[in-house]
Amino acid sequence: MELRDKEKQNSQNNEQIVSLTSLQEGAKGVIAHAVGGFGLIRRLAEMGLTPGVEVKLTKKCPFHGPVEVEVRGVALALGYGVASKIFVKPLGKEQNV
Amino acid sequence: MFNGKTRAETEKNSKNKGILRIALAGNANVGKSAIFNQLTGLNQIVGNWPGKTVERAEGTLHFKGYKIRVIDLPGIYSLSTFSMEEIVSRDYIAVEKPDMIINVVDASALERNLYFTLQLLELEAPIIIALNQVDLAAKKGIRTDVQKLSEVLGIPVVPTVAITGSGINELLSTVVAVIRGELKLNPMKVRFGGEIEEKIQTLEKIVTDKLAHLCTVYPARWIAIKLLERDSDVAGKLKNYENGNAVLEYAEKIAAELEKIHGETSPVILASERYSLANKIAKETTTIESPPKISLEQKLDAITTHKILGYPILATIAALIFTIIFAGGNTLSDILNPLFASLSTHIANVLSQFLPAAAVELITQGLFGGIVAGITIALPYIIPFYVILALLEDSGYLPRAAFLMDSAMHKIGLHGKAFIPLMLGYGCSVPACVGCRIMETERERFLTAFVVILIPCAARTVVILGLVGKYVGLHAALALYAFDLVLVFALGRIAFKALPGEPVGLIMEMPPYKKPSAKIIAIKTWNRTKDFVYMAFPIIVAGSLIIEALALSGFIDYIVNASEFLISGWLGLPPVAGIPLIFGVLRKELALILLENALAQQGMVLTDLNAIQMIVFSLVVMIYIPCIATIAACMREFGWRKALAIVIVDVSLALLLGGIAYRLLSLFMNV
Repeated sequence: MELRDKEKQNSQNNEQIVSLTSLQEGAKGVIAHAVGGFGLIRRLAEMGLTPGVEVKLTKKCPFHGPVEVEVRGVALALGYGVASKIFVKPLGKEQNV
Repeated sequence: MFNGKTRAETEKNSKNKGILRIALAGNANVGKSAIFNQLTGLNQIVGNWPGKTVERAEGTLHFKGYKIRVIDLPGIYSLSTFSMEEIVSRDYIAVEKPDMIINVVDASALERNLYFTLQLLELEAPIIIALNQVDLAAKKGIRTDVQKLSEVLGIPVVPTVAITGSGINELLSTVVAVIRGELKLNPMKVRFGGEIEEKIQTLEKIVTDKLAHLCTVYPARWIAIKLLERDSDVAGKLKNYENGNAVLEYAEKIAAELEKIHGETSPVILASERYSLANKIAKETTTIESPPKISLEQKLDAITTHKILGYPILATIAALIFTIIFAGGNTLSDILNPLFASLSTHIANVLSQFLPAAAVELITQGLFGGIVAGITIALPYIIPFYVILALLEDSGYLPRAAFLMDSAMHKIGLHGKAFIPLMLGYGCSVPACVGCRIMETERERFLTAFVVILIPCAARTVVILGLVGKYVGLHAALALYAFDLVLVFALGRIAFKALPGEPVGLIMEMPPYKKPSAKIIAIKTWNRTKDFVYMAFPIIVAGSLIIEALALSGFIDYIVNASEFLISGWLGLPPVAGIPLIFGVLRKELALILLENALAQQGMVLTDLNAIQMIVFSLVVMIYIPCIATIAACMREFGWRKALAIVIVDVSLALLLGGIAYRLLSLFMNV
């Protein structure tokens, strides 16, 4: 599975890891890891938010509101609490295709 | 212990009798129920899975000499044990072994959908794929190579557009061709990377050896994978086997080894593996033809979920729904009521020729009255409400509303999805109660239902507007609504703190906007109305008969006399107001009509009540005992204990608040 290896490499270059909620609207990042209970982490993985995958933060509601991300071609709404448990490595503008 | 059929048995199963059992499986929001509706139309039975509050929709159709029974499995993203829906689905597939599974796949989100397909393949179920929403995918510039996808997966793939019915015939032809052996399934073997695959195979051998009987129901490899994923349901099944614990311990050991290598929990490792595979297949079989332009749907999405603009839009839509249901319902109700009233008099005249007066009254008021009560709620309020609900569901607006209201709902310990049943509650509490199923855990379902019942439905609105709004002023009626919201907020918070368990955060897909189809809305409305009639009518009629019998035997007068200290002493209402409050259980707007009647018997009219009495009466009607149809819905959803708990809390609360309101208002208002 070369693909999976590539995804893993992505997640291991983690010089700068931030919470998903701290991304700007329109910014992209690669998921490094999620913290939280067994159930939550499994659920996130099943919805496609696995380590190494690229996400784009498409919407961000003010006052600790929910965020919307695009992952694997699907739009997902995540509550602020959930989103703040997901950590990503931000992708610079030049890496955006 | 397992009532499941073994694999050999299914081979000679129903096929010979010309009856086929087909299950529809797939993610939520992929048009699965649209396909189901196109297949079965009005021949549907919607009910629950035995012993579970998971919707089970089943229908039949005839095709090429086969009678085909189609079952619509719940829309889920995975076959793990996250929710009841997932367990129900995988048990149906593995244990009941339908002749064919149609996996409905959204062509515009192939990768995510294939994640589920791979799990169906792990279950070694006979599947074909309906590649749905190909039109939507084309709009996004996504083109799928159907032939190639079919080759890679080794199963037939039929492109469909469920909303228009395109491809449905081909889908059925394919099912029949596979059943007749004209088309062969050669499903892809799902294999994982390196040491993961090694470990699965080792475990699979042990499972085959030690759990021979379990392997006749579930595939050995699937059991091995689930054990590695620490699946609690499969682990539970193992405990019943002699060697179960030993296998479990071994599985735990290798899961731990795997986690040590990868630094992630085993379900995440396996999910990542499946997604990599899904990603690979999706990349191989799809091409993005043109850079996607910003479509009308996307613009609509941007506006309706806008951090500022979104809220006035939501408020406008809610107000519009409210007006349509309320105004439309009232008009229809006004047309129907006199019709039934004259019919009732006519029946009474005929019957009184050969029956004693009491029996006539029991039949006309109790039996016929109950049926009329049912019809005059169902037709004017429920049907328009169901049409609007289907429209909101199919267009994709509901998740947007949930997204906007997530922060607000967190204040009462729930998340955005709870806003959907809450909004439904302004129409009718019955579908709102059933709508609480969208919440993930039993705790959240119950919490949501508890607050949803306190929302004034259309029938309660009739009382509030017809009494307080008309005679005290609109400001007072609006104040009652505002007070209700404060109450919902406060009680929601208390219940949230009182009930044990952790709150769950929002994780919800936001499907793109779609143009709803009139046909599918009509089918949905018809089937839901049918379900409502079956569930609520017997109870409304029985309740109506019982209360009428109580009235005829003079028992009601006894209750009214006994409760006089409550009605007059505590609530400050005329003693006769007890009667409408009792009958209001049948349907809440009946409370107002009966209040008028009860007062008339005392030579009074509604306006003889003072403003405080009107407000207190409306307040009590708004909060006290849910109507009988809602109680029935609650019992079905949560069992009689919890339904009873809700009734007791609501009645005590209504009396408590009514009495306090009477005293407080008397201090401030001069009447």
